[in-house]
Amino acid sequence: MGLLESLFPAENFSLIAFILGMPLLGALVNGVWGRRLGKPAVRLMALSAVGASFLAAVVAFVALQHRVEVEGHEHVKLYWTAWQWMHANGGRSVTNVPIDVRFSIDALSGVMMLVVTGVGFLIHLYSTAYMAEDKAFWRFFAYLNLFIFSMLVLILGDNLPVLFIGWEGVGLCSYLLIGFWYDVGANTAAGKKAFIANRVGDFGLLCAMFLLVHYAGALDWTGIQSGANVLADNPAEAYRIHVWPIGGGTYQGIFAFLQPAHPVTISAATAVGLALLLGCTGKSAQIPLYVWLPDAMAGPTPVSALIHAATMVTAGVYLICRLSFVFVLSPFVMATVAVIGVSTALFAATIALVQNDIKKVLAYSTVSQLGFMFLGVGVGAFTSGFFHVFTHAFFKACLFLGAGSVIHAMHARIHDDVQAQDIRNMGGLKKYMPITYWTFLAATCAIAGLPLLSGFFSKDAILFEAFVNHSVNPFAQKLADRHSGAWAPPAMLGPSLYVAGVVAATMTAFYMFRLFFLTFHGDFRGWVIGRAPLAASRAGHGDLEDTADGEEAHDEGKGTHEHEHGADEHGGDHGHHEENLKDPGRAPHESPWQMTVPLIVLAAFSVFAGVLNPAPLTKKLALEHWLAPVFESAIKGTVIAREGAEHLELPLMLGGIGAFVVGSGIAYWMYIAQKGAPAARLAEQAPGLHRLLLDKWRIDELYEATVLSAVDALAETAAAFDQSFVDGILAKLTALVVAAFGTILRTLQNGVVHFYAAVMVVGLAAMGWFFVTPHPDATVTPEGNGDYTLVAGPGIGYGYRWDGDGDGKPDKDVFDGTQQIKLHLEPGKSIVIRLEVMNAFGLTNVRAIPVSRPSAPTMLEVGQN
Amino acid sequence: MATLNSHDAGETRPRWLFPLGAAVVVVASLVILLRSLGDAKAADDFLAAIGSTVPYLLPALVAWAIPDEKHKALRLPLAVMAALIAFFVARLWVGGAEVAAGEGEGPIVESPHLLTWILGLPIAGAIAVLFLPRQAPRALAGTTLAIMLATLAISLPLLRVPMGREFHFNQDVVWLARFGIHYHVAIDGISLWLVLLTVFIVPIAAYASFGSIHTRIKDWCFALLLLEGGMLGAFVALDLFSFYVFWELMLVPMYVMIGIWGGTNRIKAAIKFFLYTMFGSVLMLGAILYLAYAYAKVSGGTPSFDYFELQRVLLPRHVQLWLYGAFTLSFLIKVPMWPVHTWLPDAHTEAPTGGSVILAAVMLKLGTYGYLRFSMGLFPEAAAEFAANLAGVAVLGGILYGALCAWKQDDVKRLVAYSSVAHLGYVMLGLFAATPASLEGSVLQMVNHGISTGALFLLVGVIYDRRHTRQVDEFGGLAKVMPVYATLFVIATLASIGLPGTNGFIGEFMVITGTFVSNKLGHFNGIQAVGAAIGVILGALYMLGVVQKMFFGPITKPENKRLADVTNREILALAPVTAMIFVIGFFPNIFLSQIQGAAARVQDELAARIEANPAPRFYEGPMKLLARRPEAPKATPNGPATPAPAQ
Repeated sequence: MGLLESLFPAENFSLIAFILGMPLLGALVNGVWGRRLGKPAVRLMALSAVGASFLAAVVAFVALQHRVEVEGHEHVKLYWTAWQWMHANGGRSVTNVPIDVRFSIDALSGVMMLVVTGVGFLIHLYSTAYMAEDKAFWRFFAYLNLFIFSMLVLILGDNLPVLFIGWEGVGLCSYLLIGFWYDVGANTAAGKKAFIANRVGDFGLLCAMFLLVHYAGALDWTGIQSGANVLADNPAEAYRIHVWPIGGGTYQGIFAFLQPAHPVTISAATAVGLALLLGCTGKSAQIPLYVWLPDAMAGPTPVSALIHAATMVTAGVYLICRLSFVFVLSPFVMATVAVIGVSTALFAATIALVQNDIKKVLAYSTVSQLGFMFLGVGVGAFTSGFFHVFTHAFFKACLFLGAGSVIHAMHARIHDDVQAQDIRNMGGLKKYMPITYWTFLAATCAIAGLPLLSGFFSKDAILFEAFVNHSVNPFAQKLADRHSGAWAPPAMLGPSLYVAGVVAATMTAFYMFRLFFLTFHGDFRGWVIGRAPLAASRAGHGDLEDTADGEEAHDEGKGTHEHEHGADEHGGDHGHHEENLKDPGRAPHESPWQMTVPLIVLAAFSVFAGVLNPAPLTKKLALEHWLAPVFESAIKGTVIAREGAEHLELPLMLGGIGAFVVGSGIAYWMYIAQKGAPAARLAEQAPGLHRLLLDKWRIDELYEATVLSAVDALAETAAAFDQSFVDGILAKLTALVVAAFGTILRTLQNGVVHFYAAVMVVGLAAMGWFFVTPHPDATVTPEGNGDYTLVAGPGIGYGYRWDGDGDGKPDKDVFDGTQQIKLHLEPGKSIVIRLEVMNAFGLTNVRAIPVSRPSAPTMLEVGQN
Repeated sequence: MATLNSHDAGETRPRWLFPLGAAVVVVASLVILLRSLGDAKAADDFLAAIGSTVPYLLPALVAWAIPDEKHKALRLPLAVMAALIAFFVARLWVGGAEVAAGEGEGPIVESPHLLTWILGLPIAGAIAVLFLPRQAPRALAGTTLAIMLATLAISLPLLRVPMGREFHFNQDVVWLARFGIHYHVAIDGISLWLVLLTVFIVPIAAYASFGSIHTRIKDWCFALLLLEGGMLGAFVALDLFSFYVFWELMLVPMYVMIGIWGGTNRIKAAIKFFLYTMFGSVLMLGAILYLAYAYAKVSGGTPSFDYFELQRVLLPRHVQLWLYGAFTLSFLIKVPMWPVHTWLPDAHTEAPTGGSVILAAVMLKLGTYGYLRFSMGLFPEAAAEFAANLAGVAVLGGILYGALCAWKQDDVKRLVAYSSVAHLGYVMLGLFAATPASLEGSVLQMVNHGISTGALFLLVGVIYDRRHTRQVDEFGGLAKVMPVYATLFVIATLASIGLPGTNGFIGEFMVITGTFVSNKLGHFNGIQAVGAAIGVILGALYMLGVVQKMFFGPITKPENKRLADVTNREILALAPVTAMIFVIGFFPNIFLSQIQGAAARVQDELAARIEANPAPRFYEGPMKLLARRPEAPKATPNGPATPAPAQ
């Protein structure tokens, strides 16, 4: 231990570099040279990278635990600063906010790190067998390693921008892995959908970042925590965020009707919380951004297990836990989190009730379970919410891997992806795949909430706290003193959340056991099992008896004659010749050890992980104690349990147990006792509802019709406007005006000499006439004090005759050389001077020149005095 | 799958595994041996010696190993490139414990002639190329590249000077004393990176273009070199007259490039490009002349075109607004900002690849640079008055509208062109917000846009050379036949949509946070920051849409089935820009630390003037001459034409 501490001091815990570096190295090596390395080397690199990372993570965790013991009940963190990254300006007195590439391990990220590397390693191992025949093996592991790296950056990042690297990095890996078999358009479309839905969330995260920089003046966890109170405890109205009028101006003039009686403002804490929440709903697939996750099942099944169940999708919950001290400042945000969570849990569970695709059921179940986690953190039960993240990682990964094992077996003869994943084609697999069966059963019981299994404890703790907790604004008193109210959640919120949660849990138990019974019990419905004719066995592509060389040769052969499809085995049914499933074929087969070992390990954790926090049974809660320093200061004074909560613990537990009993009981009755007849009857009785549920409430279509088509229309309008108005009218019209002048002037330049001569004559004549006529003209110069000098314009042989007194008659009778006269005016008086001019030809002309003096002294006169 | 072990037997274990392991063991045992012998110092020295070379050797080795057997010719150049980039990063490293300042070398001597060399070399080269025979295209191309690389090499010493707040490499020579016209060049943290961007991108664009342009090579080389010289001059000129000369000088080669080597509608596009830019330029010329003579009037001497002298002129509001308008319109056309942006899609679509790259990467930056240097530097009050409204235009007309338009384009090049409008919206927004971080972010975003959009245009050029079409619908499933190309395209796309870890994120992040913190945008800083953040979503929408349509899904067109992947030339052109995407993304502080001082200076100057002449009336008295800025280099008297004293 001493060696560990001297090697890695808390402020420079460079072991983090190794934990992060190994998966990155793996991604780099496999990504760049994978094609040349061959499968064994790729496998070695990928597994050793994640394995080494896991071992280092264990060492780091031990070091952390040691420090926690040494330092007592403190929030211990181990830091490693890689380098300075960039900076921003912010805070009250706008200062420099450095943003470094800095990582830290504390109690929360330590646990998460272990889960990610541990489960990640198991899934890597599983994938080596699952993906063994894929030509893009190397690409798969490069992406998978990159994902582990990004996820670790997300978890270990010590500030929001570094977390954001990981946040978008996992999004990118998810995008790449969903569209892994990119020659099927639907896969990449699903990938794009995931990325863009996540980007909407990222927009929220970006907003949260600039709000935090501005208000809290920091982006690292410690800094945000110490500056967070400003968010809610605003000293002045100006520090609140003005929603309407935008930014806090006033509407005047014709827009006055837009001005509300009282400006609509929210506290910065609410704004930050909602922005963060948007980010979290994107990543963690909650209403309204959950739509991408079910589509994401287009990726290979290990990806669904690792990214879309165990780790990435829980990043939103992790972020809420990480920034719990920001969320608790706004009870409104907390209530929103909880309500979104429970609605998602209910909503997704209803869809999962009727789905027939094994992965779709699990996907909606993931959405629903994430809803439970949101419910947990939304009611201030951060430990319980995070505990559910922890247990869910095991049982959901186990379920997905089990599903993968089943699909793998089905693929032996059913090559169509949709058909191979359809539970209506399965059944009775218990007999053929015992390990998959038992592990799947363990995980199903865990998720359904069989008492004493991991899922039971974590879900029960959430439901309990949902019932008893309520959030209060820590500055409610202060705000009341300033006559600005603080929002408080309604009293009925807790019980309502509890009831909705129990209903969702009941549905969970039902659909999970429905899935389980349909897959593993009853009779096998995929194909006729019997002794296969020899020819069929040779042709059967995924046939397990084939030697590896034969497999390769087969792949190559396929590659040559159907080049454009040949990248992989699972890329749809293109590469396969259809088999007649009526022909008898080999029974589905248990998977190889690389796939079953992870299943067994994960199943063991699904069963036993509950001992870490068996909330109602004992007061010795290991996880609660471990995480207490992280959440303690956040929930103190903000999350209040109702009176007598401790007595409610056991009664409320009955809800969870009831949910399990009722849900699994109905499933048993429907699918085992009655062989599915009641389900078919129900579907017949309410065909509309059944259809609607099968179509996932048609939310995708709703989004398509509203948001997407609106943006699309906006874009169409913008593009058309650009073409027609900006380029068409603004640019072309200007050009047209110039061109029109050109056309007019061009007619004059016709090249006909007669025409030019005529024009010249006309011009000369006009000039001659100008010189022949006299032009009387004079400039009036005020000299100040009412004195004015008038000077007549000169001309050849001009004689002048003035009417200087304004009587209408010339002062003199003859024209002479008097070019200039002076006169004086009283203030406010005006006069009309007449000037007559006679030129050398004796022609005369006359002009009246009005002169007036303003009544008040002009600026100029003042200046001259 | 049950037969996994037979797979192992079927494939040979990689040959390099043993030598690699052996090397590691040898090094480790050597270290242990030395240590156990008690000679810790020798071991440390040994390790230090190895350690100091690792940063350069490792990237070089990696780059050496990247191309497979088919591309062996690439190995050496890639390794050299990697080592150079590693050297660059290591040399300028900030972010470790301390900055390696000077290392006891004493103050670095700044040659006053360096900038003249840098911008003179391409111009002299352009003239030299005229004397080469037209029939020797390889010699022409080689000479051109050599000149460009030499320019790149001689501009690297610029990096040795910590820029701080001042101007460096100042050279001020009287040109026409009677009119106060000087040849004045100097560089600060802002123009430093734009100069380096120019000398970095132009050789790449030229090298790539020699693969696709086969007619009138001599004219092409001449145009390229002249263009480079003109752009460099415009970035370093601090005499408004010389600035204007360079500004117009670069217009001509680009016009010729679009007009001769462009696509089908090249003439129309070239004329449109020229007229738009010229319209602004003429207004700016008028404003420059007015300003120079205003200086003469108020100082009672000869007019001056010197930036630092003209900065001293405090103009009454109504005059300032007109001059600001003339300068700004000229720059905004160049940027381009809505609604004067429509020349850009046409020019980009019709320009040859090399031209597009230079146009997007460097020429557009002259607009943003010009706004920062001249509009904000000479007319701070007017700039402050218009900042809020123009920021609205940058967000609505640039970031959002540009992105929406980009989404609806069928032509990849047009799409990238509209994405430029959106990206430069961020740059302009950062300038309008004018906080230290947003200004730094803006300048970095100028460089970023040059890198990532340059990369995108190079990539579009690759596919255009093969298919002679840029219509998105013509492609599909290209990832299958051109995997390397697809990878590079996706990387450039990710940089363009600002994924953290790539360059795009840093700039956008700094600009957006800066916008929210800014106090120069009135009530609207919040909503403008939100609008800019929405642009992040739209960016993903259009870029990933085009990636999906071009690269994924089944191959729909038979003519795409036999397309060749990127050639050696294309890889060599794309490698440095791709590397820079990550260098800036991960080590932005290398760049920011140089920009920081200059950005702070600009912000301080702005703040000082606005504070002295507060809104809304600012200043309405007669013209005045203020004190010279403390950071301005020493003025050269407008006497008889003598060369500036070397300092």
